[in-house]
Amino acid sequence: MSSIKNERSYKAQKLLDRMGQKLTRQMVGSLTACVHCGMCTDSCHYVLANPGDPTFAPAYKADRIRKLFKNHYDWTGKVFPKWVKAGSIFTDEELHELKDIVFGKCTNCRRCTINCPMGVDLATFNRMARGLLCYVGIMPEGVEYVAKEQWEIGNQMGVLKEDYIETIEWQEEELQSEMEDPTAKIPIDKPDSNIVYVINPREIKHDPRSVLDAAKIFYVAGEDYTMPSEGWDMTNFGLFNGDDELGGAVAGRVYDKVEELRGKKLVISECGHGYRSTRCEGPNWAKKDIAFEAESSVITMLRYIKQGKIKVDKTKNPGSYTFHDSCNNARSCGLTEEPRELLSLVVEDFREMYPNRAENYCCTGGGGAMSMAEYRPSRLKSAKIKADQLAATGTKTVVTSCHNCVDGLTDLIGHYKLGMDVTQLVNLVANALVVDDIVEENKKKYAEKEEVGAQ
Amino acid sequence: MSNLLHFSEHTLQEVALVLMATVYFLRIRWFMKWPLGKERQPATGLGDTNPKKGERYSLANVAMPWAMESTRLKPLMYIQFVVFHLGVVAAIALSFIIPYGPGLLESSAFVSVIQVLTGAAFIVGVMRIIRRISNPYIRAISSPDDHFSLILLTSWFAFAFLAAPNDISGGEGIMLTYFFLTAFFLIYVPFSKISHYLYYPFTRTYLGRTFGRRGVFPIRRKPAYQMSK
Ligand code: SF4
Ligand code: SF4
Repeated sequence: MSSIKNERSYKAQKLLDRMGQKLTRQMVGSLTACVHCGMCTDSCHYVLANPGDPTFAPAYKADRIRKLFKNHYDWTGKVFPKWVKAGSIFTDEELHELKDIVFGKCTNCRRCTINCPMGVDLATFNRMARGLLCYVGIMPEGVEYVAKEQWEIGNQMGVLKEDYIETIEWQEEELQSEMEDPTAKIPIDKPDSNIVYVINPREIKHDPRSVLDAAKIFYVAGEDYTMPSEGWDMTNFGLFNGDDELGGAVAGRVYDKVEELRGKKLVISECGHGYRSTRCEGPNWAKKDIAFEAESSVITMLRYIKQGKIKVDKTKNPGSYTFHDSCNNARSCGLTEEPRELLSLVVEDFREMYPNRAENYCCTGGGGAMSMAEYRPSRLKSAKIKADQLAATGTKTVVTSCHNCVDGLTDLIGHYKLGMDVTQLVNLVANALVVDDIVEENKKKYAEKEEVGAQ
Repeated sequence: MSNLLHFSEHTLQEVALVLMATVYFLRIRWFMKWPLGKERQPATGLGDTNPKKGERYSLANVAMPWAMESTRLKPLMYIQFVVFHLGVVAAIALSFIIPYGPGLLESSAFVSVIQVLTGAAFIVGVMRIIRRISNPYIRAISSPDDHFSLILLTSWFAFAFLAAPNDISGGEGIMLTYFFLTAFFLIYVPFSKISHYLYYPFTRTYLGRTFGRRGVFPIRRKPAYQMSK
């Protein structure tokens, strides 16, 4: 580790060299155009939760990255460095300080982006800075661990193939029992299906009920679908650690499997960063134009109801509900109206949270924050803003279309003792399904078959 | 009119303009050399918007204070922004009107318009200087260039205000200061943050293109679902 100024450490030099390869014109625009007007300041939940501390201001954080760009890549910074606050980085300690800013003080939520009159997109170059630090091996431990799992095992929770298959088979048995249909299947690797359904590994590890709920909906809709045995993880840590190569590899695995299975459509279960990574950024990272359709399961479920493929009864979901927009869904993919429409069809009492849609505040677990244990105290402090937003709705349950937000919201709800539940649309839709007739019919059908068999 | 004033109104301005244009050209050339990130994904969103619509919305943002929470909740800041930039337009226009169309300044109404615009911009400039020094958030992000650019512009507004009547009967000091300041301004701008307007069309277009393709721009805030039993 070098601590002598002007003698740049190996890692610092490597990071600066790499920066030039990662900059795009969009990023250079954002790095050059900031006028330090401060209009973005109050849009950041970190600022609002830490009044009086300017180091949380988006422009302040951005300047920690911008100064490097100005010093090494922008000629005004090269000619008059002090005048425009350009600066370099020399030691590994400084790299660690940068890490604490780009990972620990920003969830890449893009709320400041939509509030900047100049169109400065801090989240994009903050992600780039994360990628540069990861490139030289400086990142929070949790980020390193999860990225490694995704590189090596193929999913970010290190779920082994046999555990994945076993969990699906277990949910298949549950489906058979709930639907009274011993032939009900959760198909795996079925070629030429209409839909290839990909999920978040959290569903296998912590929330298998979501797999069952989705399977029930597909079953009732009579959908011809399959789950893949490989390339089933639609989450992508490349979005969080800024590693485009990881992003491309993970998204590529999903795309390759859909192509191998000749699936007509890729349906992505409810996950904000998974949806953004697989649906939007993945083709950019993988440098691949995908030839099949891809959509969020929210859109699929809504279509089933509209087409009469499934029937729902909203009285089955009593209580009051509000909706939390995942930043990735709302601010980066425009998925704001479909979840609302769907929610209004499956619950009786839905109350908006303010601000909402693209202006919603981050759950504070975004940008991979849930995997960075060292920043938990400051994350939970910044979560006060979200907690106040939730409490103001006066509802009992917050619905979200994101597994990451489920964890972020659950953590803050516990911390601020809000006494609210967190759920997803798939759970509410499955619960609202009108299936009594189907179950009765199945009961009769298979009882008759059993009788025939016994004779 | 002295030779010096004539020089400052004509030759000096022309040289400064050429220098500014040259540096701008170099800056744009430098900027365009960076590779443009490509968006490959098929569009998302409800299908009622597209990259072009997103671009238009994004570029028009400057005239839609309701579009962003930051300007919607701080109308005073937005008004300051408008006044300040109208002052810039008026002060620049004046530097062309005095040498090339002085007849316009024979109308006292016209002079009053220029003075109202530059005078108001001067007041906003002073308010901004105070804010930049006293607001801890703004102070923390300010560079010497930010402070200097603001002081430069604010002083320039003051001299534009005083120069607007185009009257040298009491001496040429004000006119000379205004034109030398203008020339300095023109030469300094491309190196400073004042050149932000050069990047504005690019940054807003790129952001609008992406957000239009992804169904985010124009931003929706309605309908509000409030459907208690
Ligand atoms: S609003 Fe935009 S231009 Fe103003 S300080 Fe923030 S990032 Fe910079
Ligand atoms: S992207 Fe979000 S968390 Fe990061 S600075 Fe902007 S508003 Fe704050």
